Amino acid sequence: MTDRVTVVLVDDHPVWRDGVRTDLEASGIADVIGEASDGGDGIQVALDKMPDVVLMDLQMPTVSGVEATRRIRDDAPNVKVLVLSASAEEDHVLEAVKAGASGYLLKSSTSEELIDAVRRVHAGEPVFTPSLAGLVLDEFRRVASGEAPRSEEPQLTPRENEVLKLVAKGYTYKEIGDKLFISTKTVQNHVQNILTKLQLRKRYELMRYAIQRGLDRAPE
Amino acid sequence: MSTTIEHDRQNGAADPERYQRTLARGILVFRWVWLAWMTALAVASAEDFTIPALAWASIGAAAAWTAWLTATRHRWTSAVLWFDLGLCLWLVLASALVVPEESVVEGRPFFATGYPLSAPLFWGASRGVSGGLIAGLTLGVAHIATRPINGVPLDGLTAPQFQNMTGAFLNYVVAGIAIGVISRVLVRSAEAVARASDELIKERERAARLAEREKLARHIHDSVLQALAFVHKRGRELATRDQVPPEEVRRLAELAAKQEADLRRLILRDPEEAPTGSASLRELLEDAARSVEGIPVTVSAVGPMWMPRARAEELTAAVRQALENVVQHANASRANVFADQDGDDVVVSVRDDGIGFEYDETALHRAGKAGMLKSMKGRAEELGGRMVVVSAPGSGTEIEFTVPSR
Repeated sequence: MTDRVTVVLVDDHPVWRDGVRTDLEASGIADVIGEASDGGDGIQVALDKMPDVVLMDLQMPTVSGVEATRRIRDDAPNVKVLVLSASAEEDHVLEAVKAGASGYLLKSSTSEELIDAVRRVHAGEPVFTPSLAGLVLDEFRRVASGEAPRSEEPQLTPRENEVLKLVAKGYTYKEIGDKLFISTKTVQNHVQNILTKLQLRKRYELMRYAIQRGLDRAPE
Repeated sequence: MSTTIEHDRQNGAADPERYQRTLARGILVFRWVWLAWMTALAVASAEDFTIPALAWASIGAAAAWTAWLTATRHRWTSAVLWFDLGLCLWLVLASALVVPEESVVEGRPFFATGYPLSAPLFWGASRGVSGGLIAGLTLGVAHIATRPINGVPLDGLTAPQFQNMTGAFLNYVVAGIAIGVISRVLVRSAEAVARASDELIKERERAARLAEREKLARHIHDSVLQALAFVHKRGRELATRDQVPPEEVRRLAELAAKQEADLRRLILRDPEEAPTGSASLRELLEDAARSVEGIPVTVSAVGPMWMPRARAEELTAAVRQALENVVQHANASRANVFADQDGDDVVVSVRDDGIGFEYDETALHRAGKAGMLKSMKGRAEELGGRMVVVSAPGSGTEIEFTVPSR
């Protein structure tokens, strides 16, 4: 029991939750220990049960998946969040990843892909689809070419840029490793660093906003 | 439809400068007429000239200047305008010097009557009302000055002589102002036309997008509901059987997947507000990927990637061919299209995990297998770009198109 991945499902469609639960339990690698049908409940259940992985839908009533992801990751950094979304709702996906999600998967993915993703996220490996990699590339470039380059903001190293491009082209981590003559583990580390930098940028963004609004000063 | 839009734009139907140029050509015609008139008068009254050399030199200068204006594609720079004003001023003043004393008031036409009028016209056309006024006033004052220069004191003028002089003064000023007004109106209306046609183009594109959405909506009503009903009914039937043929289930799944993709496209991504005349390369590539049958194709891109529509469509056509090639020959399980921006270039790569091949153009040519590749390469080159193929037996194929985005 202990070596099985514990999972909480957060999705407003019961049919979907049932399907995912069946798939995961049939695979024998995971146990679903809690379910919630919206973001607010999702935060509660996740903090209550402290699962290894939360499978998070994005579009939900009341509290959105992005907000729930942020709160769960802030309060319980050991709980990983994998976004499972119905479509490439790009802005939301990117926001969720910035908020601390370890990756995202389309709901139309096969159950093998889902099980593999849960396993990988649990093992600390980010799950990047090619289209997410494209969005992340765009994100880094946009700010890099913005008005004043902010030196304190983390930028991608040339190597990370190269890895990200290859992910966007649809190469697997192993194929990238072979191509760049590095180990698969090193590729994973690069991808993890890219994610961390993306999340760090979000923090800088919030900090800048606070400073601009004078929110960092104590009230007089 | 998109080609007409491109055409309209390139036509520059609404370019203010073009109207002004037409006006300038008209003024040039007047110049030649006046030059001929001036020359004819000079020939007729040549024996009266007190300083014939000065008269003929002045006419020669005007002729040379007119010829230069006609022959060169000159711009309306300040130097050209000031030189023109100076020359016309000189013609007016010289006309008083080269005829016998007190003859300017005799009422016979003297040789600088018409030509100097071209300076106020020129200034008015290029610098508007204030330009026309400056040149008109200058020449009007010069015209008044011709009286004392020719030995006729201004206070000694008879009433008709005075009216004549004032009339000529006003002629210069009014000509400059009138042309200035016309030019300003032309520029304004040209700008208004430009704005209107920009809006028209936008409106047309919006209408096209709406029509596309409506088409899609109809399609969904027709096919999604049908498909759902079919999946529903067939699913129940299959559930009652002991043996379910996998082929049957796969067909149901594919049916649902197709409808899912259509719905997603309609509902979840609003058609983005495109800059005039352009298209999102990502959207076109996604359309192309959806139409591929046999293997899943994912599309990734760094943003919507706006490009002139015709270029984006041509590039997508090349990608479509590449994908067809993958389906027919690569024996791949999946393919990925990645569109990236690299400075002024757009780089689109089409990658598959298939069997790969030895990329050797001459060998392929000899085997008669180069047709498709050549056609793709041709498209890329016609767009001012290039195509690179990276492949080796057993390790998939990557075709990369690099073309300038504008």
